[in-house]
Amino acid sequence: MTNLISVQNLEVSFRMSKTVTAQAVKGVSFDIPANSTVALVGESGSGKSVTAMSIVRLLPENAILGANSKILYDGRDLLHASVEDMRALRGRDISVVFQEPMSSLNPVFTVGEQIAEVLRIHMNLNPRQALDRALELMTEVGIPNPKERLKSYPHELSGGQQQRVMIAMAIACEPKLLIADEPTTALDVTVQRQITDLIAKLQQRKKMSVLFISHDLGLVGEISDQVIVMRHGLVRETGDVETIFNAPKDTYTRALIACRPNLDTRPRRLPVIDDFVNGRPIETEQRVTVSASGEPLVTVQGLRKEYRFKKGLFGHSVFPAVQNADFTLHKGRTLGVVGESGSGKTTIGMMLTRLTDATTGSILFEGKDLATLSADQMRPYRSRIQIIFQNPYASLNPRFTIAQILMEPMRIHGIGKDEDDRARMALSLLEKVGLPRDAFGKYPHEFSGGQRQRIAIARCLSMKPEIIVCDESVSALDVSVQATVLNLLLDLQEEFGLSYVFISHDLAVVKYMADDMLVMSKGEIVERGLAEDIYHNPQHPYTKQLLQAIPRGLTGRVEAAQAE
Amino acid sequence: MFSYILRRVLQMIPTLAGVILLIFFLFKWFGGDPADIMVGLSATKSQIASIRTQLGLDRPVLEQLWIFVQQIFTFNWGKSWATNEAISDIFATRLPVTLTVMIPILILEVVLSIVAGMAVAYVRGSLADRTVMLISTVALSISFLVYIVVGQYVFAFLLGWFPVQGWSDSLWKNLTTYAPLPVFLAVLVSLAPGTRLYRSFFLDELGHDYVRTARAKGVSENAILFKHVLRNAMIPILTNVATQLPGVFIGSFLIEAFFSMPGLGREVLTAVNRSDYPVIQAVTVYLAALTMVINLVTDVLYKFVDPRVVLK
Amino acid sequence: MSLDVLHDLPQSPGVWASAWKRLRNNRVGMVSLAITLVFIAMVVLAQLGLLAKDWQKEVGTAFAPPHFVGRIVDGSQTAVVEGAQGPAVDISDIDPLAPRYQEWAERAAQFKTAAAEKSETLPLGGDQLGRDVLSKVIKGAQVSITVGLLAALFATIIGTVLGAIGGYFGGKVGDFLEWVYNVFTSIPYILLMFSVAAVLKSGPLAKVFTSGVWTVIIILSVVGWTGIYRLVRAEYIKHRTREYVRAAEAIGASHASRMFTHILPNISHVVLVQLSLHVVSFIKAEVILSFLGLGVPLDMVSWGTMLTEAQAELVQGKWWQLLAATAFMATFVTAFALLTDALRDALDPKLR
Repeated sequence: MTNLISVQNLEVSFRMSKTVTAQAVKGVSFDIPANSTVALVGESGSGKSVTAMSIVRLLPENAILGANSKILYDGRDLLHASVEDMRALRGRDISVVFQEPMSSLNPVFTVGEQIAEVLRIHMNLNPRQALDRALELMTEVGIPNPKERLKSYPHELSGGQQQRVMIAMAIACEPKLLIADEPTTALDVTVQRQITDLIAKLQQRKKMSVLFISHDLGLVGEISDQVIVMRHGLVRETGDVETIFNAPKDTYTRALIACRPNLDTRPRRLPVIDDFVNGRPIETEQRVTVSASGEPLVTVQGLRKEYRFKKGLFGHSVFPAVQNADFTLHKGRTLGVVGESGSGKTTIGMMLTRLTDATTGSILFEGKDLATLSADQMRPYRSRIQIIFQNPYASLNPRFTIAQILMEPMRIHGIGKDEDDRARMALSLLEKVGLPRDAFGKYPHEFSGGQRQRIAIARCLSMKPEIIVCDESVSALDVSVQATVLNLLLDLQEEFGLSYVFISHDLAVVKYMADDMLVMSKGEIVERGLAEDIYHNPQHPYTKQLLQAIPRGLTGRVEAAQAE
Repeated sequence: MFSYILRRVLQMIPTLAGVILLIFFLFKWFGGDPADIMVGLSATKSQIASIRTQLGLDRPVLEQLWIFVQQIFTFNWGKSWATNEAISDIFATRLPVTLTVMIPILILEVVLSIVAGMAVAYVRGSLADRTVMLISTVALSISFLVYIVVGQYVFAFLLGWFPVQGWSDSLWKNLTTYAPLPVFLAVLVSLAPGTRLYRSFFLDELGHDYVRTARAKGVSENAILFKHVLRNAMIPILTNVATQLPGVFIGSFLIEAFFSMPGLGREVLTAVNRSDYPVIQAVTVYLAALTMVINLVTDVLYKFVDPRVVLK
Repeated sequence: MSLDVLHDLPQSPGVWASAWKRLRNNRVGMVSLAITLVFIAMVVLAQLGLLAKDWQKEVGTAFAPPHFVGRIVDGSQTAVVEGAQGPAVDISDIDPLAPRYQEWAERAAQFKTAAAEKSETLPLGGDQLGRDVLSKVIKGAQVSITVGLLAALFATIIGTVLGAIGGYFGGKVGDFLEWVYNVFTSIPYILLMFSVAAVLKSGPLAKVFTSGVWTVIIILSVVGWTGIYRLVRAEYIKHRTREYVRAAEAIGASHASRMFTHILPNISHVVLVQLSLHVVSFIKAEVILSFLGLGVPLDMVSWGTMLTEAQAELVQGKWWQLLAATAFMATFVTAFALLTDALRDALDPKLR
């Protein structure tokens, strides 16, 4: 197989200020063969996106390329090609599909026009011909009602359809290489599956190469021929997909594969990168959970949340975010709530913590209906039901020091004798979540995402809660960091007898954490029961669809091949 | 669409009511007694008496308020206390003068700001960009008054290219002889803030993801700026033009005073100096209503400029 | 927080400390800061009476030209009146007051009057009454800058408080404040200024605000709070759904705590930049107000009054007051504007 693209010794740094530069890519070399799918895998900060963008020279204005870096294509060095040459290349020989389709499409032009644009630039078609070809492309990528959709604006399409439009634009001129930069990360699980399959199908049909960038090894295992693993701006390992998954050589690669919660086992702790680096054995002992005996801690009945919108002159339309939710939570156990965007799972968490008021329904806790309490009456209960949010970069006040963040809840609930006492308790909390003492006087922006989530957990613990709602608490974290935070949550549950409501769209993570489970779709609970039962024996069609959509890595690929 | 417009008109009512109440009570409580004022303006006893009856000054407050409201909706304000001219006439004669000057200013200002803003955005970060920004900062620090005074002195008085002041009855003569200098000065003054503002619009748009997609498609930088960015920048540009529109109707009283143009702005200025209440009240209320209508029209126009807008 | 525990732990610099450090590296910013401080020093000294105290004294001949231009030799500019010609005639025999002249001359000699020598040229020239333009422009700086600063401060306080309440609570309170905002902004700003001026001049409040400067400050604050309100309200709407505010609610923080302890520090940089921008626009607005006769009273001087006088002087060919006022104002406003830009860059939260 000939090499389409050869990246040689790529070095990229960014000028941050007059004196400071930060190096993102520190000397990366790899080849992309023709007619194959190469996956570029790494966590945030690994430099995978920067590497890919270097191929088409779409880097930000403050990027500096290394003097010895070369990217060879068709006998030319792309890094030293003229601006005109690059422009002719982009969209025709090499095209890109980006992560966020909503913001990547121009909001004021119709999708038909945007697809037609790339055809008019490179294929010399007149507007009429370009639109006709655009229609063909939209049909090819599987957009329903393509004739009407041609005149639609991006915001009128769903996320999946927008991404299909992006793909249509990218394949319009029959490129030799398609760079897909995390194309499915922003999409729901079921849609992810469709888009990934579409890209794989197009690759085979057009015999083009695909450079697929992702942090999700499971996804990558299913569709790629070769895998390149990056970390901190360097390539850790390259190889064909079977070798990488079955016999990885590099410790980081092994760690990456292992940290991901497996659908079949529930070890007491998830392995973390640190374990691999230090050669510690992987935990195989299975987790034991508290049994669901006695009265439930929380009983929810008929919980409902409606949003009202103005319609017409005097009318209203009603949107039910959650319809008639009934469930219980037992002490020391984790209730998993799973669903895609719009399922209402986050709203349930908001209602439990009274951050959103329910329209109707009851939340019984220690004999009191929390849904009917006033703000003042609710306050003492707030310390007992806490929440950890999804975005670690937004849930800590950027202007507060860690000390202030940890001590404020204690002050509000009258915990601790005086400021000194509270400070001492805050320091011990830091220790408990695995952060150093000197974090006390620092600001959130000095910490990584995983560390900030730990601070958020410490904040919850300062009030000695009984129930913690984890609303997509690890979804924004890298895989290896996820594992550390999940381990921390499990340790705390064991030590303090905490009960969790674990909300997520990530089925593998929920399978690992949850004892009991709820599956939600469009505001309704479509299936409930023990997590084990649901995963092995799903009843509802939606649940089955959800489970099928989970990327399974190499095994998924094998199964798919067997099915054909 | 229709229900949206209707709902907005209904929403305008409390605001208009607020303006009416504010103006009425402001002048009632804090203004002087009309009789005293008119005496100062050397009105005759019978004129004063007729004003008193007309405004119902001997009647209860609510009746006076009702009279005020009636005046607004029937456009019948009677006569100016100072010149005895019918107020509706005042509007009819002064407004065209103001518009003759202000409309060219607005059009030129917007067009030049777009051009200048785009040009500077194109060369962003370069020495040219920073020089232009510095010059505009300095230019902004000089008062409009100074521009007019110096401009009038240099271009009209010293160089004699334009008449120092004046106005005529012919629209053509006005546009070609009397309007050019004031228009030129006003546009010159607006160039600095306009360039800065529009530059920020374009730079904002250039930072968006869709520009990156366009580059990935091989679109040229020119096409990106002129087609993709400009089209999106129309949204904040529309907002900006809309905020300036009410000003077009009131006119620039500075320009009208210095160049002796019989426009609405100068009329208001004179009225205030003479405490000619009917004129001030009429102009205020009508301009407030006009501003609200302009806001409504702008919001509807958004729908055509930004497809994402949902009018609800 | 001075806790024993904290003594041995590192304290990171907060937002302002980091911003100051970044500002220090900005050459343009530091120069602007220096110029601004010089002007502030001028203002303080003038306020204390140590500088330009006697600006009202007519120390020069009318329209005395600046030193660098030199004396104007042809007397037509300085209103020198030719004395009468011819010998003096003695009329003491018919003059009824003649006997008493001697007595009066002796009495008058007891009083020392200093007939001040009127200079023919002054450092930056003189105005129509012969007052020193340099003193006027310094005293004018004090008045204009003080007015600008105070008016901006009040407008910012009003706009921020109302914007915070309206943006945070929404609902009926928010609607009411929006109605107030709409009423204020529907009325053309010049008319609003006139109306407020009318209220303050001739209404019952006229007795309260005797000092003319306060009239100007109130006019500017009452008309100028709307821009800040709009921005602060938008910021509060943006922040109240942010997760750190939700987290504060979840731990039980009160509304007041969320509004002012949590959110306000996160938008203080926006408010500061608005304050600076309004200082600049209010200084320029004062010029217009003075031109309209709504500015500082006649016994005070500001850059606005100087420019208003300058307009009549220019047609007579006397340009030095115009130049002095414009140059001083341009220098301060430009420096302040550049400082604001540098401050905005230094506070850039993108790096957080």
